[in-house]
Amino acid sequence: MLETLGIHFPSLAIYLVNFLLVLLLLYLFAYKPILRLMDQRAERIRESLDAAEKAREDAASSQEAIQEQITEARREGQRIMDQTREAAERFRTEEMDKARQEAEAFVQRARADIQRERDFALEDVRASFGDLAITAAERVIRRSLDRTAHEELINQVLEEGESLRRG
Amino acid sequence: MGSGTGKYIALGLIIVMALAIAGLITGAIGAGLTQSEEAKAAGETAEGPFIPKPEVHLPAQVVFPTSDRDHYRDFLEAEKAEKKYGEASLTHDQEELVEEGPYQGSNFIITNTILSSFIASIVLVLLFVLGARKAALVPGRFQNFVEIAIEGLLNFVEAVVGRQHSRLIFPVIATIFLFVVVNAWIGLLPIYPSLGFKAGDAIQIHLLRPAGTDINMPLALALVSFIFVEWLGLKMLGLSYITKFIRIGSLKEGLKALFQMRFLDAFQGLLDFFFVGPLEAFSELVRLISFTFRLFGNMTAGEILVLVSAFLVPFIATVGVYGLELLVGFIQALIFSGLTLVFAAIAITAHHGESHSEQH
Repeated sequence: MLETLGIHFPSLAIYLVNFLLVLLLLYLFAYKPILRLMDQRAERIRESLDAAEKAREDAASSQEAIQEQITEARREGQRIMDQTREAAERFRTEEMDKARQEAEAFVQRARADIQRERDFALEDVRASFGDLAITAAERVIRRSLDRTAHEELINQVLEEGESLRRG
Repeated sequence: MGSGTGKYIALGLIIVMALAIAGLITGAIGAGLTQSEEAKAAGETAEGPFIPKPEVHLPAQVVFPTSDRDHYRDFLEAEKAEKKYGEASLTHDQEELVEEGPYQGSNFIITNTILSSFIASIVLVLLFVLGARKAALVPGRFQNFVEIAIEGLLNFVEAVVGRQHSRLIFPVIATIFLFVVVNAWIGLLPIYPSLGFKAGDAIQIHLLRPAGTDINMPLALALVSFIFVEWLGLKMLGLSYITKFIRIGSLKEGLKALFQMRFLDAFQGLLDFFFVGPLEAFSELVRLISFTFRLFGNMTAGEILVLVSAFLVPFIATVGVYGLELLVGFIQALIFSGLTLVFAAIAITAHHGESHSEQH
């Protein structure tokens, strides 16, 4: 019956060997190297993608760092400028105070000098005035006056001179 | 530019029309219209002037060694005489030849299909080995082609059995696909019907014939597929694979149920053991037959269709049939490898019966 169907065992065996040989040759010289290569390529692509991703992240983070540095520097610069301005302001007010004080001290001293000079002058005037009064009195009255009356008269004149000095 | 293309299309159409008319006139259809009344009455087949009536020899023909080829030719003659004149009018030698059959004993013979299969194998191996020989990470054109083929097949395998087992199953599936498709397509080369050994006017024994038209080739592939699937099942599931066919678990459950007078469960268990198990085994064996005859039938029908279309309407009808045959070769390869793949996927999946009996 198998013969009638055309089944011929030697032919069958030849086909089997033929197919298995093709399988073996293709497996050894085509599938294996090509599949290994494709795996390698997939691996390589995956690595490259990972590296690219990492580089991108690095760039982003360094960009951030640079931005931060710039902000920091700007803040620092602002701070320094503020400080400088403040110092300048302080220096200015200090100098102005000092100048004012000096001027005031100078005025004070000048006023004191003037007072002193006036006192001296008044003292001078008083001394000269007393002498002058006595001399004038002596000249007017000459000898007849007693001592007590004399004194009283002088003091009166002096009193008037004192009030004069005070006024 | 547009009018230039239009010109070429018109020219092509004219050529196709001319060929179609020439084919209709010179082919068997045209000959039939001009056939004389007597010939029609005698029931003779009309033949065109170029293409003789094709003789389709279903079994593979012996081409080497020479003595076997002579024996085969004599056998063909004897068989023809037997058909024409009946058994009684055969000579003694002819009777002996018919008795012996086409193949002298079971010597080592090369049939035209085996020769074709060798050539197809050499072409296939050369194509792929050369493509993979200088395999580089950045592929050239030729390597690219081979890679596309292999990657496509690998994706096909992965889609069915998943990544885990794909590398184990892939080589056999891919080789089945490539072997079938190359054997089918190589048979469409015009040298196939035109090379052969003449007896009288016509070529009696062809030197080459597509290997798929020899039933031994599909049978060999079906055996490979069958053995591969069973081996895979045993390798992946171990001895539990056999319990798919010999359902000892169900037998035990059934006997236990019988002992406890639970007749419905007993019936179910025994049915599972005595009927479902053998049915599973039978279905595995039936695959052999369906695999064999599906490929054999398609390839043989294709071969006959090419011959008949060339006989009926030469020059033009064969073109369409060739396109169809390219498709059929591809689809048959896909079906053969795809079914093997699916059966392999079924074989490596733990079957239901075992988990079913464990639930009790």
